[in-house]
Amino acid sequence: MNETEQNFEELKKLLTIKRHEVPPPGYFNHFSGQVISRIRAGEAGGSQTFMERLQAEAPWLANFFRVFETRPGLIGGMAASLCLLLVLSVIFADRPDAASKNLLAVSEPAAATGGGSVGTMSATALLTASSDSSGIVASTNPVTSLQPTATLFGQAGGSPLFQPANFMSAGSH
Amino acid sequence: MSMPETAATSDAATPAEPLETDLVHKARRGDLDAYDELVKRYQQRIYATIYHMTANHEDANDLAQDSFIKAYQALKSFKGGSSFYTWLYRIAVNKTINFLKQRKNKQHFSLNDLDFQTENNPDLVALISHKTPLREVGLTELQKKLNEALLKLSEPHRMVVVLHDVQGQSHEEIAEIMDCNIGTVRSRLFYARQQLQGYLTEYAKPA
Repeated sequence: MNETEQNFEELKKLLTIKRHEVPPPGYFNHFSGQVISRIRAGEAGGSQTFMERLQAEAPWLANFFRVFETRPGLIGGMAASLCLLLVLSVIFADRPDAASKNLLAVSEPAAATGGGSVGTMSATALLTASSDSSGIVASTNPVTSLQPTATLFGQAGGSPLFQPANFMSAGSH
Repeated sequence: MSMPETAATSDAATPAEPLETDLVHKARRGDLDAYDELVKRYQQRIYATIYHMTANHEDANDLAQDSFIKAYQALKSFKGGSSFYTWLYRIAVNKTINFLKQRKNKQHFSLNDLDFQTENNPDLVALISHKTPLREVGLTELQKKLNEALLKLSEPHRMVVVLHDVQGQSHEEIAEIMDCNIGTVRSRLFYARQQLQGYLTEYAKPA
């Protein structure tokens, strides 16, 4: 036994008191039964608490939550930060609206100069734009170009699409 | 009978006994009778470790039960790299240290009674009647002072003292349980003893 061990000899004797501390009589007679009952109850209910499941699946997250349990002040700080974040996000969320307003302001003068053809123009522009991107509209272009622009029977100038029908035979004249 | 002695006799099987592995296999398949046997085998040692760490019977009871339940739930993840006994201890130690961190500044005693053999322990009798300057101090008072001093240690230091000096575990076992190297265990033990000696200078003077 070295000198260091001898120096702690008295302390080690004192620590033997701990070995004489015993739980209430009969305590261990029911201990295992209680454990097994709790396991059975847990299996029957299938009820692990949220924190127990979290501890098993993501211990780091459970430890993170435990920090809040020990330091309630942090919860307040975190809540205040979240509120601030929310307010800031609302404020910054208004910015895109302002940008779209600016775009409308730019397009309004063009509408004023174009008069009634604005709708046509914008539709044409849209068709052009979309045909550039997809080609679907391009496939329908011939169809749209064949559609008569006036009423079916009211075309002036004799459209080649429509011929008058004649039911009389050639020898009847 | 003192707590570790009780543990040594009633926890008859040593961790190396093949029966333990059989019980673990059965328990993994959901055999609660086998697990009940494992609980009975280790309940006293697990309870004692937690009790010496918390100095509170009710907390020790709750934590010991929780440790056994958690071990059962996690049994499928037990790879068998260490003995079940060491693995169970590790669960109990981690659970206790986490609990103590949360309970900080809210420590309260609920000390168990000393058994009838205490007054016949020659070391303790000598300590009280001869060495102690306060000769009139009783064993209960000494018990309280000792627990107060232990609670002043940090959790890892207290754990090493409890496992080594109270429960008689080897440095190697403690290193495995606490998931650290033997050098760390030795240095923690030395530091913890020094601290304790400082707190209990009236009762445990260096030789």
